[in-house]
Amino acid sequence: MARDQTITCKVNGRTYEKSVPVRQSLADFLRDTLSLTGTHLGCEHGVCGACTVSLNGRSVRSCLTLAVQADETDIVTIEGLRSESGEWHQIQKSFHENFGLQCGYCTPGFLITAIELLEENPDPTENEVREALSGNICRCSGYSAIVTAVMAAARDMRELQKK
Amino acid sequence: MRFSNEKIVGKSVLPDEAIPLLEGEGRFINDISFSGMYHVAFLRSQYAHARLVSVDTEAARAMPGVIKVMTGAELAGKVEPFRSMPNRFSGGESVQHWLAVDKVRFCGEAICAVVAEDRATAEDAVDLIEVDYDPLPVVTKAREGEKDDAPRIHEECANNHLIKREYERGEVDEAFANAHAVVERSFHIGRKQAMCLEGRGCVAAFRQGSFKLSVWMSHQLPYVVRHYLAKHLKLTETDVRVIAAQTGGGFGQKASIYPEEFLCSYLALQLRRPIKWVEDRLENMVASTHARENDVELKIAFDKDGHILALDSDIWADVGAYSTYLWSAGMEPLQIAGLMPGPYKVPAMRYVTRGVATNKTPVGPYRAVGRPTASTSLELLLDDAARQLGMDPVELRKRNLITADLMPYRNANNLLHDHVNYEACLDLSAAKANYQKLREEQESAAPNGRLRGIGVACFAELTGLGTSTAVGPGTLLQPGRDAVTLRLETSGALTIAAALPSQGQRIATAMCQVAADELGMKLEDVNCVTNDTAMAPYGFGTFASRTAVFGSGAVIKAAQELRERLLALGAHLLETPKEELGIVDSAIQTLDRTKSISLANLAEQSFFSAKHIPDELNQGFEITSFYDPKFGSFAAGAHTVVVDVDPETGDVEIVRYVAVEDVGRVINPAVVEGQIIGGIAQGIGEALLEELIYDEEGQPRTVTLADYLVPSSMEIPKIELHHANTPSGAIGGFKGCGEGSIIGAVGAIACAINDALSRKGGDLQAFPATPERVLRALNVEMRDA
Repeated sequence: MARDQTITCKVNGRTYEKSVPVRQSLADFLRDTLSLTGTHLGCEHGVCGACTVSLNGRSVRSCLTLAVQADETDIVTIEGLRSESGEWHQIQKSFHENFGLQCGYCTPGFLITAIELLEENPDPTENEVREALSGNICRCSGYSAIVTAVMAAARDMRELQKK
Repeated sequence: MRFSNEKIVGKSVLPDEAIPLLEGEGRFINDISFSGMYHVAFLRSQYAHARLVSVDTEAARAMPGVIKVMTGAELAGKVEPFRSMPNRFSGGESVQHWLAVDKVRFCGEAICAVVAEDRATAEDAVDLIEVDYDPLPVVTKAREGEKDDAPRIHEECANNHLIKREYERGEVDEAFANAHAVVERSFHIGRKQAMCLEGRGCVAAFRQGSFKLSVWMSHQLPYVVRHYLAKHLKLTETDVRVIAAQTGGGFGQKASIYPEEFLCSYLALQLRRPIKWVEDRLENMVASTHARENDVELKIAFDKDGHILALDSDIWADVGAYSTYLWSAGMEPLQIAGLMPGPYKVPAMRYVTRGVATNKTPVGPYRAVGRPTASTSLELLLDDAARQLGMDPVELRKRNLITADLMPYRNANNLLHDHVNYEACLDLSAAKANYQKLREEQESAAPNGRLRGIGVACFAELTGLGTSTAVGPGTLLQPGRDAVTLRLETSGALTIAAALPSQGQRIATAMCQVAADELGMKLEDVNCVTNDTAMAPYGFGTFASRTAVFGSGAVIKAAQELRERLLALGAHLLETPKEELGIVDSAIQTLDRTKSISLANLAEQSFFSAKHIPDELNQGFEITSFYDPKFGSFAAGAHTVVVDVDPETGDVEIVRYVAVEDVGRVINPAVVEGQIIGGIAQGIGEALLEELIYDEEGQPRTVTLADYLVPSSMEIPKIELHHANTPSGAIGGFKGCGEGSIIGAVGAIACAINDALSRKGGDLQAFPATPERVLRALNVEMRDA
């Protein structure tokens, strides 16, 4: 079996064509090959959720996904959340304003997971937010400020939709 | 006189420190790379206790991409191993080599380091190393390990006592002889770990800039690391720069000195290349310090009114295979024992405490060292006493708390309580929880045959320890003073430099808030660097809930001096007496605001056009101040918790959580709230979920996050947080707030569970309260799988 394979994928709006080792994880590809180090590795076995990225609009654990599986896909990482003009995504604003992060290591995964939730369910209850975030571990905050931030982002995004 | 600005201290200022983290540009240790950088992976022991018969590295060395394979035998004699002991008390010494020599003493101990062009190659090469082990008998429990016939882990350490201390003060025997009631209790808490989301790691670089050795590290104490790196590698301190990189959680686990980072630094010097090592999760579970795992036998004498007469405790701390470097094996056992009385009046006390070596990962500092064990065993016993004496548990606590009118009050553990109001915390907690109503409804409130329990726990947390109050008596590290430098840049902006790195506590923001208030500056004109020995004056770092106290105290002292210098030059430039000037919004102004000069203008003139400024008024606008609060500041709290225990499944659900905290004067309320709730969350994990399990061979059974359970958003209830703050006696009135809440959490949850179980005659003595333990406590028959 070939040790390397060429993949083409779009990451944060930019198209890349790269030769990757077949054993390389998507996380290592993003971090080491594309230098997108905003995606963090917390456990490398799919439990903590820190490495969560968006792949074709769905959140995936980039530590459990191989780079070759990302061939012909569209990926968004934390570095791709700002608009072209540099404006923060509502979820970034909301995490900031609600003190939704402390050490910030888990934050990239929470942001991506929260965005997926709010796209599917723009008006979640607190319990639905807690459930949606239950696959992401935060060791600092006790989740309280994170849940508040996601609820606030949902509200703000609904307001923006109305306008 | 001074114009008063609107105060910034006390406001939930949004932290600029969070911005890079929200944009994916945090630059944690694994995000730092240099060209030509090599990567390290470690071969770790598969046995808990074994003689190393042979280590064959030939195949690994021959692998393409491998630069070097370092063994313990090769390293021995070239660097000084770690020796750390609490030298004031009895106990043996442990010598920890950076790579094991002759013997391994715990699963996960590093045996070889492989240096390769990339991490994957280094890991592949580790797999090619062949080690021949000769297994030795193991010690996995402290109380077994101290027996005369137990295997010895360190030759020179009898009974595996890395430390043993006995203490007595007051008439203990007399108090027990004359007691109305003597209540006894056994308590066990399991082994856990900090579980920072980011593991440890470092990048060590040779000749970066003007330093021979620069080390980026995920660490809480950059200056202490620098001192000991220089010492162990025989460099001068000016050769070495240590930068605490953006750090993904610390909680004490990143406050010790470990072999791996020191070895990488040695390799960087030897190979003259940048060296990176980042711990993966498996390594983190076995190679970064663990915490807790204590046994307590506690006995208290009461008079007929429920007053404590004397306290007698016997304590065993399983401290793992080595005395953790700098802090020593004394941390847990000494602090559990010494801090046992908590916020209560204890006229006489006695203890015997030991740190027993076992063939497990060494135990190091972790959030609220020792206190959760001390507090929880005491709080559980107070509930027992209340039942026995027919008193309400809250009333019993009120009778024993050290009240404000008695302060300053010296307790039997020789600690002086002052500037703290324990009773106010308890009263507010009971009132906010509507405690009386909770008790009245206790019988009827729980649904579907569940058992409702109510737990109330009070705690005292000694924070901001000055030089007269040691964090670990007799240890190598006796922190107690810190410095900050304030420098008015020629742009008129202020830079605060301090060696007080943040692991998410927003320390820079807090320091900016304090300085802005003291100097009358706009917050946006104040910046703070906290992580770099090349920029900051000496400081011990961030641990033990000390940074708000030390950093703020030093900032205020330096600001007062800087302010005088600024006003003196302002007076000259404005041709106005100094007494008529103040600083408002980063400008020096007269009282009537008719004359004004911005700090930007003043700073620029003082440096770039100083010709007309008298020398004595232009001695630089850079001040370094040291601050030592001498004594600690007691923070405190009282938590009230309601749980429902399912007697069928053993599940414990927290249905209500009310926390009241005294954290002194608050700098940034939202940040403080995050610290307190975060501490409670870790306490919930400690009380209900988190346990590192070893089998009888000393093999760790919980090495992934699928086995070691930490709370998710589903396990943490809404926390109702209230304050009963009393300013401390330290400059500015600040206290630490990072650790206290975990103490109250473990205590209150444990009490609530046992309150529930007592309704069916059950009593839990070992924690965390896993479903299995809960069911066993209720005498539910269980077939072993």
